[in-house]
Amino acid sequence: MAHLNKSDALRQGIIIFVFLAVLTALEFFIAVTLEAVALLVVVALVKAGLVLYYYMHIYKLSQEADDEDEDRHSLAYKTATNRLGLWLFLLSDSFVFGGLAVARFNLLGLTRPELNQLLGLAVTSVLLLSSFSMNRAEVSMEHGDRKNFLLFTVLTFLLGAGFVAGVVFVEWPTAIAEGVTPSANAAGAIFFMMTGMHAFHVLTGLIFLFVIWNNGRRGVYTQEKHWGVEAATVYWHFVDVVWIFFYPALYLIGKLI
Amino acid sequence: MKKIFSSTLARGLLWQAVGWLVGALFITGIRALMGLQAIDASKFFFTEPAWVFGGLLGALFFIGGSGIVSDWFKWAKGEETSEHHEDPAGGEKYFNLSLDHKVIGIQYTLLALALFVIGGTFALIFRLELAHSGLQLLTLQWYNTLMSLHGILMIIGILLGVSGVINYLVPMLIGAQDMAFPRLNAFSYWVAVPGAVLLLSSLALGGFDTGWTGYPPLSARAPVGMQMFFLGVFVAGWSSILGALNVIASVIRMRAKGMTAFRMPILVWAAIATSLIALTATQLIGLSFQLVMFQRLLGMGFFDPAKGGNPVLFQHLFWFYSHPAVYVFVLPGLGVISELLPVFVRKPLFGYRWVAMSSLGIALVGFLVWAHHMFTSGMNDYLRVPFMYSTLLVAVPTGVKFFSWVATLWKGKIETPTPMLFVLGGIIVFLLGGLSGPPNATVATDLHLQDTYWIVGHFHDTIFGGYVFPFFAAIYYWFPKATGRRMNETLGKIHFWLMTPSFLVLTLFMMRIGLLGMRRRIADYDPALGFDWYQLIMTIAGFTIALSVLIFFINFFRSMKHGEKADGNIWNSRSPEWQVPSPMPVHNFDQPFEVVGEPYDYGLTDAPYIKFAKSTHK
Repeated sequence: MAHLNKSDALRQGIIIFVFLAVLTALEFFIAVTLEAVALLVVVALVKAGLVLYYYMHIYKLSQEADDEDEDRHSLAYKTATNRLGLWLFLLSDSFVFGGLAVARFNLLGLTRPELNQLLGLAVTSVLLLSSFSMNRAEVSMEHGDRKNFLLFTVLTFLLGAGFVAGVVFVEWPTAIAEGVTPSANAAGAIFFMMTGMHAFHVLTGLIFLFVIWNNGRRGVYTQEKHWGVEAATVYWHFVDVVWIFFYPALYLIGKLI
Repeated sequence: MKKIFSSTLARGLLWQAVGWLVGALFITGIRALMGLQAIDASKFFFTEPAWVFGGLLGALFFIGGSGIVSDWFKWAKGEETSEHHEDPAGGEKYFNLSLDHKVIGIQYTLLALALFVIGGTFALIFRLELAHSGLQLLTLQWYNTLMSLHGILMIIGILLGVSGVINYLVPMLIGAQDMAFPRLNAFSYWVAVPGAVLLLSSLALGGFDTGWTGYPPLSARAPVGMQMFFLGVFVAGWSSILGALNVIASVIRMRAKGMTAFRMPILVWAAIATSLIALTATQLIGLSFQLVMFQRLLGMGFFDPAKGGNPVLFQHLFWFYSHPAVYVFVLPGLGVISELLPVFVRKPLFGYRWVAMSSLGIALVGFLVWAHHMFTSGMNDYLRVPFMYSTLLVAVPTGVKFFSWVATLWKGKIETPTPMLFVLGGIIVFLLGGLSGPPNATVATDLHLQDTYWIVGHFHDTIFGGYVFPFFAAIYYWFPKATGRRMNETLGKIHFWLMTPSFLVLTLFMMRIGLLGMRRRIADYDPALGFDWYQLIMTIAGFTIALSVLIFFINFFRSMKHGEKADGNIWNSRSPEWQVPSPMPVHNFDQPFEVVGEPYDYGLTDAPYIKFAKSTHK
């Protein structure tokens, strides 16, 4: 919401982050005590809705879309076209993740592999923090605050890198030690495929973060013209939304095999 | 010749070979260092992971090395790039990177035609084998490989041909200068080239024997050529996905003033419907093939029942794309039919809004029918009936189209130049394809028809009627727009009158022997079945089709230079692209136009469709 002033934007970002954190904790609590699948789905949908609306600004898609008389060569018109293109890409990409989720429930049903749930919560928290930090970076750029933009972009990068490292260098060896290997059984295969595909997307997100940090450092972006920042932000949050669904699907839903 | 060797195409192919070698050697080196088997004589020298990684790296090197993404790298470095891009005059621009949607559209079409020729040749070879029972020409492995490659090359060729028609026409029809994302458009085309090379490379790596469907468990143990097939489809799939993204964004954002949704040409509606499928569902075939690739490379047991996997899951993921994919093939073709029919009947298109919505209807219902391919697969029985009904539902919007075509023809002043012949032929053949569909949709009959030649006949009727005939119609119709010359009418008519009857004989015989028990996808059959003479006639019919297509190619290439000059509105069309001279100017319309009426009001006086701001003729 570019119309918000700086402090309101900060307040909104924090409130959404607190909501997401509380819901994540609630989700964990539901999973370890109740085994209520429907409730977990509802929580995940609410979390995804919050991110889509407040962090990814999906409502911007319907703005400026119908102005026929608008100058087609204006920056605003071109940015809106770019935004549509990006969201179409995300729609397409979500079918990959949707397909993986279908495969997971087809093969495993309401069972799940033996994984360390606390470790899952830890990496999830890191990714959630990175989403908040990403939001701070974007809001800073929207208000022309380059210093904070660079600071929060670096912070997001570090948190994202921490997430990938946590998955690949901590979570995977832990799982393998407990017998969940790619080739052991279908559950292991699904676990590595889902986390691997997601980690690959986080990695590409890290590349985008590096690009916007590098360009921001050299003064390419301004308060009015920073489509690159918006695109990287929306992509980053999209990867977070995917994890909002994958995390319960892998760690929380169902009985142990 | 020197220009050809320095073209984007040649450089890309060279880089692909380099990348392939680098990737294969890299994995081989790592395996040698880790003490694993580094060389595998049974897999054509390199090990399977080395071949796969090499194939992937080769495709990336093609893209990187030929300069297709250099503008994006400049953007990433914060540099500005020129908005304008000049193409060289003459034919060499078709072998080089271009950002002009018209050049890209023709590039797509040429690549599609090349793949049709290769895939068609494969069909001729195995059709020759089938002309007589017993094995005369091919080994079983070669038969399977050629049959599989025929399928996938034609499918990729059709996808590229669809993109060609859409790319060339949609920006003109909506009055835009170009697509919304010209660089992405070029990328979408060029990524298909290494994809096609990967597919063909499977020939040299042992082939594959699964058919184009690649079902595990057979695909999990087929030769290494299988992996090249998976990789090729995956890479070419990106062409489809990103091209579709571009079409949707262009139509939503770049339409001329006054072109409301229900004043868009029907072909634009068809392009939107087809793109919605290609944008989303294509990911699922990519995913299903990736999963088999990983199963082969890392032993991940997605489809291995011994590890708790489920082969039927593959079929669900695969058909979730691959059934809607046939609507990707036919919707633009049906759009071409609806687009051309009013021109040659000189009457408004009957029920414009219904036809527009029927394209979307087919696309949306198409998402809900995939499991009708799996009635005999062993999936849950209770799924059969809902999928039977959803499949039969497709007949409703398709019937709307037929009703519109017949009502448009009714009492029209019908002219029959070559494009119109192909439109009429397309309607008839598609009707056969459509009518032979419901027996496969109803469970009781499908249990008998599954995997017989009936299905092969049905499928070829739908694709020829829905895609091939309209595609030829489109080429004959818009060839003057692209070149300023028209194709020879006599040769065009010979093409039509040779192809249509022989094609009908071919597919009707396919259905006939299918009903009598001829299995599909087999190299040989029992002479006691008495199919030998059917098969012989089918082979002769197949070669006659090839002859007619040869005549088409002669006409096509000859007319480029020697065709009769045609730079005006030779078909007397109302469509915007014909209101400016041919060949189309570089940026399409010098003056923007405004839509002031209905697109298909043929035969009505004083009912203009578009109005230019000023005269285009300076």
